[in-house]
This record gives sequence, structure tokens and C-alpha cells, in this order.
Amino acid sequence: MRALKIAATGMAAQQMRVETISNNLANMSTTGYNARRAEFSDLHYQQFTRAGTVNSADGTVLPTGVQLGLGVRPAAVSVNLEQGSLAATNGDLDVAIDGNGYLEVTLPSGLSAYTRDGALKRSAEGQIVTSDGFPLVPDIVIPDDARSITINPAGEVFAFFNDTAQAQSIGEITLASFTNPKGLEAIGSNLFTETEASGPANVSTPGQDGLGTLRQGYLEDSSVDPVREITELIEAQRGYELNAKVITASDQMLGATTQVR
Amino acid sequence: MESTGYTSLTRQSGLMREMQVIANNIANSVTTGYRQEGLIFAEHVKGTDQGPSLSMATANVRNTSMIQGALTKTGGTLDLAIEGDGFFLIETPGGERLTRAGNFALSAEGDLVTNDGFRVLDAGGAPVFVPPDATALGISPDGTVSDGGRPLAQIGLVQPADGVDLIREDGVMFRAEGDTLPVEDGRILQGFLEGANVDPVSQIARMIEVQRAYEMGQSFLEAENERIRSALETFIR
Repeated sequence: MRALKIAATGMAAQQMRVETISNNLANMSTTGYNARRAEFSDLHYQQFTRAGTVNSADGTVLPTGVQLGLGVRPAAVSVNLEQGSLAATNGDLDVAIDGNGYLEVTLPSGLSAYTRDGALKRSAEGQIVTSDGFPLVPDIVIPDDARSITINPAGEVFAFFNDTAQAQSIGEITLASFTNPKGLEAIGSNLFTETEASGPANVSTPGQDGLGTLRQGYLEDSSVDPVREITELIEAQRGYELNAKVITASDQMLGATTQVR
Repeated sequence: MESTGYTSLTRQSGLMREMQVIANNIANSVTTGYRQEGLIFAEHVKGTDQGPSLSMATANVRNTSMIQGALTKTGGTLDLAIEGDGFFLIETPGGERLTRAGNFALSAEGDLVTNDGFRVLDAGGAPVFVPPDATALGISPDGTVSDGGRPLAQIGLVQPADGVDLIREDGVMFRAEGDTLPVEDGRILQGFLEGANVDPVSQIARMIEVQRAYEMGQSFLEAENERIRSALETFIR
């Protein structure tokens, strides 16, 4: 009885959808989070009667034949790359990316990771780091006696000192872009790493080569739309119940089969 | 020759198949671009040597519903839905395939691809290439892909020629058993996806019908079993 297994693939799909939705809702206020959506695709088809099979002695041909599908499979969990809204925080190291691009950071392993979470901090050594303490690439060190910091839309970082009126450039923040940003691998902590699918990172100055600009004093909100998620959740729950009904009905058909001796 | 059992058996196995079709429709009720499938029962008449002819029920023909599925707004730049007739043309290792699932992405090389990594073809049959520096990708209703007013390619829509059958394949794809023709008046909507056109209410109603019909067939088989048993007991005694 294949209907049982087919309905089971359907239930698994709906469950995965609920899991994606719950992760979105849990990250409703995560800085720079992009909503995910589970996508599905049908499974292989069994060919019972081929279309074009001769159906009778006088040569009539079946126009369509019978193909029976074997259920559904998860095809992808794709990231919705919509820009989240920008919220003013007035923090001098809060940087939102307005447009395409990712900030590059160095992981303790020496590999690069990419993030849109611009809630940057200053480490004990004066380095600009992420909330998790990973240093930004290129490395920028804020001098101890700097009075304040400004970051312009093109990523240049300036420090103001008490003893000079002129601001001093202390470094430049660059942004990385990818041919297929949906192909990046999420590794948690708002970080992504490059994969075969995403293509290599193209590093450039903000505002150039199709990259977005930086906004100091702002953070990018999570792009999760709670209304959309809740509607999806209702759909997923009802879909789950529908598949469960198919299992019940198939079970009862099997029951009827075993009653005949 | 006792053929009562065999006649109801053809009906029973057909109902089992139909149950599988319904299960597949419901399992795919959230699959982007999925087309609902149905099974058609036909009478199969067979002449016999003695007595009247036998009439069997076979489920040999399927029909694919081509009704428009509901469009959901996703806002994705590369989420495309077709409004009206037509299919996207996809290049797979096994040849060209048709699909209505427009949840596309870019490959690392910059080609427009499906979730399975197969390239989407333009109206001329070539891959759709998007340069890496494209920032404001727009796709117009006629399929023209442009970046900030600079046209890049035109996504092709096709449909099978009259009488050409569509064979289903996994990945919400169809294989056309014959020629395909370009669709002139197709409309592509950017930022939308077409959901499955499965109607859950009618599917559940049909499921109950199938289940009850199956149980009816089983009780008929049981009655037939009982009839033969009592006939045998009478003869033996």
C-alpha cells in the first residue's frame, strides 16, 4: 500500500515547513536575519501504463497512460534576500548595509565568514569585532585616545582625537558580494561561509560594483514578516492533518483487505 | 469459470491506484508548480466462450489538471510565476523539460537555474546569464530580464503542440513527447510563486469515496466467498 508511504512523505514535508517557520519566528528580532522558506518538489513517478500503449486489437492507442507519483521531497530551504528595515540605534559601531553585500570576518580557524549583522564592537585591543568577537576583515584598530568614530557610506572609518581638529582615517570597511548569495552556508551566529554554489567572494568598496552602502548608527532588522509566517503555519498544520487523514483512510482500506479470508 | 472475484478485483486494484494518486496530490499540496492528477476508470469488455460477456473496470488513463494555481507573493527577485498558459523551458542532462515551478536561483557561474541546478533557457534556447554586478534585476511580464534598464535576456515560455503528451518526472518537471511551441501571450510575474493547484476539499471527498467503494468491494468479495463456501458444503454433503 504505497499511499501510506506517500502520505508519510507529505507529513514529513509539512513538519519541515513548520520547523522552518518556527526558526523564522524565533529569529524575528535577530539583527540582519533573512527569512527562510522551505521549498518542495515531487518525487519519482512510476510508469504503470505507458502513454501510446495499443489498447485493443483494432489499434486504438491510450492517449495518456498511468503514472503514479511517489510523494514529495524537500527541494531547498531558500533564503529570502529582501532588505530588512533599518532601525536607528545611534551606536557609533552599529553599521547597517543598505543594499547588497556582506561584512567579512575571520573565524578562529582562520577561515573567512560573512555576515549582515553590523552590530560591531570594540575588543580589548581596540580591534573592530562582531558580537562574538570575530575580527573584521580588513583588520581595523581604533586608537585608545580616539574621542569618537565616524564611518562614511563608502566604508571609510575616521577617528577624532582631543588634540587635533582634523579627523584621521584609520581604515576602510569593505563588503563582499556573491554571484548566488542564496548558496551561502549558514553556520549560526548570523554568519555564512562560501560554498561551491555561492561562488567566490568579490570584495569591493561599498557603493561600487553593485554593492550597498553603509549606514552608521543603524542596524538592519530581521526581514521576518510575522503575518506571512502565521498564515504559512496554519497552512502547514492543516496540510499535516490532511496527510494524516490519508494515512487513516489507507489504513482502513488495508483493514478491509485483511478481513476477507 | 467463476469470474465474479476477478471482476471485482480489477475494480479493487484500480481503487488502490487511485488512492495512491490522491495521496500524492495531498502530499504535494505545497509543492510549487505542482499539477493535480486524476485517474479515469474505463470499462473493459471481454467476450467469454459461454454466457454473456465480462465487463472489467480498468484505471488506465490519467488526466492532469492544468487549472491555474494560486499565486503567492514572496518578494524574491528570482521567484517567477506564470499567469495563464505556458511552461518554463529547462535544460537537463536528459534533454529539455517543462516546468511551472519558478523558484529559481543563480548558479555560481551566474546562470539562472532551478532548485535542482538545471539551467533555465531563454526564448532562443540559450541559458539566461546574469552578470555578477547586476543590482536591480527586473523581470517584465513578457519574460525580459533587465538590470537597471539594460536588457539581458528573455526567458522563454513554451507549451506542448496539440496532441503532444506530457510525461511527469520528479522535480515538478514534464517531458514533452513531441514538439513544443513558444507561447506568445504568456505573462510572467516577478516576486510571486504559483502554488500547487491541488484542491484539498475535492481530494478528501474523493478519498472518502474511494475508501468506501473499496470497502464495498471487499464486502462483496466476502459475500462471494461465503456463497462459494456454502455451495461447496451443500455439494459435499
